Amino acid sequence: MTLFLALLGIALLLASCQSKDDVPVHQPTAYTIEIPFGFPTELNIPDDNPMTVEGVTLGRYLFYDGRLSGRTHADSLMSCYSCHRQERSFEAGIDHPDFPGGYPHGLSGKHTHHVMLPLINLVWNHSGYGWNGSVYKDNVNAEYRNIEDIVRMAVMAEDEMFGDTSRVVALFNQLPAYKQLFQDAFGNPEVSFRNIERAIAQFVRTLVSANSRFDKYIRGELQLTQQELNGYVLFTTEEGADCFHCHGGYGNPLFTTHLFYNNAKDSIFDDPKDRFAISADPMDHGAYKATTLRNIEVQAPFMHDGRFKTLEEVIIFYSVDLVQSNSVDPLMHHIHTGGVRLTEQEMSDLLAFIRCLRDDEFMTNEAFSRPQVLPDSDTSY
Amino acid sequence: MRRIIIAVLSILIIASCTKEDHKETDKTARLSLRFDHLNQGQSLLVDSLMYINAANNLYLVSEIQYFISDVSLYKNGETHLLDSWKDIHYVDTDLPYTWDWELKDSIPSGTYDSLSVVFGINETKNQSLMFVNPPESLMFWPEYLGGGYHYLKLNGKWKDEDDVLRPYNYHLGIGQLYDETGGDPIGFVQNYFTVTLVNESFEFPEAGILKLKVDMDVDQWFVNPEIFDFNQWGGDIMQKQDAMAMAVNNGSTVFNAHWVSD
Ligand code: HEC
Ligand code: HEC
Repeated sequence: MTLFLALLGIALLLASCQSKDDVPVHQPTAYTIEIPFGFPTELNIPDDNPMTVEGVTLGRYLFYDGRLSGRTHADSLMSCYSCHRQERSFEAGIDHPDFPGGYPHGLSGKHTHHVMLPLINLVWNHSGYGWNGSVYKDNVNAEYRNIEDIVRMAVMAEDEMFGDTSRVVALFNQLPAYKQLFQDAFGNPEVSFRNIERAIAQFVRTLVSANSRFDKYIRGELQLTQQELNGYVLFTTEEGADCFHCHGGYGNPLFTTHLFYNNAKDSIFDDPKDRFAISADPMDHGAYKATTLRNIEVQAPFMHDGRFKTLEEVIIFYSVDLVQSNSVDPLMHHIHTGGVRLTEQEMSDLLAFIRCLRDDEFMTNEAFSRPQVLPDSDTSY
Repeated sequence: MRRIIIAVLSILIIASCTKEDHKETDKTARLSLRFDHLNQGQSLLVDSLMYINAANNLYLVSEIQYFISDVSLYKNGETHLLDSWKDIHYVDTDLPYTWDWELKDSIPSGTYDSLSVVFGINETKNQSLMFVNPPESLMFWPEYLGGGYHYLKLNGKWKDEDDVLRPYNYHLGIGQLYDETGGDPIGFVQNYFTVTLVNESFEFPEAGILKLKVDMDVDQWFVNPEIFDFNQWGGDIMQKQDAMAMAVNNGSTVFNAHWVSD
């Protein structure tokens, strides 16, 4: 055993010496995600896609490039940005010019099965992407494990870009400026779909939102108003509005557990893509991911089906309109009175608190915004 | 250069071997705890409406999450706190990897008198944001209610007086004192408690791992000595110190431990 280890050591040493001499070194710059105050330190970054500055730069271009649909005609362009807009915390938003009411559809005209999810702080999600968590780390199906896979799904899905990955690759392989960016990021100018997935996923992982009024408050940089503080107490008490068990607070500043609950909206469950579809647990009928409440103010419409148009409607729902069913989550323990029964004053206090989770710096941060010009483009894509 | 590295490598390998040899001459063993969950003596079945407690509530259990800390051994009036590597362990009925806690401490062989743990976390250790990663971070206890972490989340449902299935959240953590105005808390109560798991002398061997199986009988949270009635207390107790005090009283009979040989 000792001999074997020694030999292995020598072999490794030799190998590393050799590569130094012969192969031209491709040395991208490591990109480090700063951990905001109180945030988890464990990141969901796959081993085979380490973050690099060059990868993120490329990913940002691709995220915003309508040619990702594999087409160049003005009518058939689509990018991630077509649906995920920075000013709406990377949702479409209820005011989206092309998707009335915030219900997106793909290039085929087909509507997405659910409404949007925001692209913020996803690098801290370990339990599953999508409303029902269908894309998760330990999935036996290796095609549905992480954000890289969501890139491919978005390009191919009929209700999204309705594209063809080999067409996309062929198209980008004709673009010299992009080829240079792929070289810088991955040490290979040849565009592969795997590297497209990697670059966009890297960019999406940089979308960190942690500069709301609430963040500044817990970092001691400002004081909240009395009304916001009242709302904070309501948010984090069982006798109050009782939101914290699923939507976080000081000790869980992501404002989501990333877990799945039936939050008592319905008594009949006929969505083939709820959490039950993934877990096969009968208690998961009608369950969805408790989304983060960061930036929620700009993310209407609300819930997986967009049934609520305003936060006021959501708060009234939690206050008086809960619906009994067998699979309602035990954490919805106010259900016997229809909800948490807030007074008018308490509702506006709670709303004031939820509004201070909005991070305007994130939504205007230039590192995340649409590039002025895209590589290899004389027109706008 | 390469030769020096190989030499260093070999020395390191040899050194690590001697260290291994050295270890074997130490007469110490380790302790491991295995947590299991029962109801009225039988293996707990989650989400099954089939249990009846002493108050005659028909109930089900969905999930149990809790912290065990400060494992201590007692010998001739002296306390040995086992706190190498970590002193607080999280258990979750949904996460099998949390059911085993192998402590890293090397425990000198010999006879010990008893063994205890703390249910929950004591006030000096129970600091907000000491766990930033899930699942532990999801146990946070709101600042307004005293901060730190839930010691226990026991979630489920019971059939109430109107025959309606109602959720309960039997949650334990820092309690609050309120005055008659019903305003902000005027003081806090530490609700963690010590549980003696083994109260007869036992022998730590000269090597190996001693295994203690720790069974939580969920029904005991609702009886012995106090009968807890969901219809009286409702589905939530985080802001009801009187109810949490009952949980603390009942807590010492919830656990049963025995040594296992495997
Ligand atoms: C046609 C609109 C549309 C386009 C284009 C689109 N998305 Fe999405 N995206 C959605 C919708 C709708 C969801 C929610 C899907 C669900 O779970 O049902 C979503 C969900 C996601 C999620 C999961 C978020 C979470 O919190 O779990 C990620 C990541 C994501 N999109 C990334 C991308 C990327 C990267 C692109 C470009 C390659 C892209 N999307 C293109 C509509 C779109
Ligand atoms: C039992 C867990 C649970 C509790 C408690 C809870 N929520 Fe939710 N919340 C959820 C889930 C799950 C969803 C997503 C449900 C869906 O889309 O169908 C959600 C969705 C929302 C949304 C819409 C999010 C979006 O992206 O569309 C808002 C806003 C919201 N909750 C606010 C609150 C407030 C305010 C409270 C306290 C009054 C609260 N929630 C209590 C689980 C919970």
